[in-house]
Amino acid sequence: MTKPENPFLKPDGTKCSCMEMLQQMLDREVTEEQRQYFKQHLDHCMPCYKTYDLEMTIKELIKSKCCGSDVPADVIQELQLQINQKISS
Amino acid sequence: MEEVQRQHYTEKEKQDIFNGEFMPHIRSMYNFGFRLTLDRDDAKDLVQDTYLKAYRFIESFQRGTNAKAWLFRILKNSFINDYRKKSKEPSKVDYQEVETYYNSEEVDRQITPDLRVESLKDMIGDEISNALNSLDVDFRTVIILSDLEEFKYEEMAKILDIPIGTVRSRLHRARNLLKEKLNEYAKSMGYNKS
Repeated sequence: MTKPENPFLKPDGTKCSCMEMLQQMLDREVTEEQRQYFKQHLDHCMPCYKTYDLEMTIKELIKSKCCGSDVPADVIQELQLQINQKISS
Repeated sequence: MEEVQRQHYTEKEKQDIFNGEFMPHIRSMYNFGFRLTLDRDDAKDLVQDTYLKAYRFIESFQRGTNAKAWLFRILKNSFINDYRKKSKEPSKVDYQEVETYYNSEEVDRQITPDLRVESLKDMIGDEISNALNSLDVDFRTVIILSDLEEFKYEEMAKILDIPIGTVRSRLHRARNLLKEKLNEYAKSMGYNKS
């Protein structure tokens, strides 16, 4: 089986390092082709696998803990009301 | 954000845009305001100011474009102009240094602390939120915009008025600082024997 072509090439033709690929993945700045390539890369690169797993866990925790879901609905309603009042006055 | 031609909307259209495109983001806006000011009342004032400005300048907004990015940009500018001055908290980040560092050959140097996924999973209290809040506001901001609100580099560059390269390096640095902070918590919880 031939190795898939590396879609993480920089404009100057050099390959991205593991770290650069990782960051693009974490920042969701990848094409579908790059995403697939990276997933395969994880199968044989333990440092990337570990770092990616850790970073994704942190991202998920941020999403669940810092998304403002603990803000009471009445705070938002009150804010909406105040804004609408000021605009129509 | 790039200058767009001034739009002309009827009162009815203004109301539709305001209620249909702006108001649905109010919770995200409040959360962003809170993460910037770290104060519930200031966050409310900031969101209110932002929405009033958005209404006043609604004809600068082109229907069908990214309302959320536009609102986030107004909020961020209000924060810098009104709140940062008030709190007299200048940015502590030396960006020149960060830029130079991250554009150098050292970019691949691993500064990941010995943090493990298992220790993170036990952080069920406020550790994550506290760790995020402890970061300098500029680092906090890029994490929120990227990880929470899922803005792309290009959108973040427009919201923050900085080049895409700076967004990338700031985000990279912010992630590492957050990991360092979480590592401190993990250690204090008895993980990571080192």
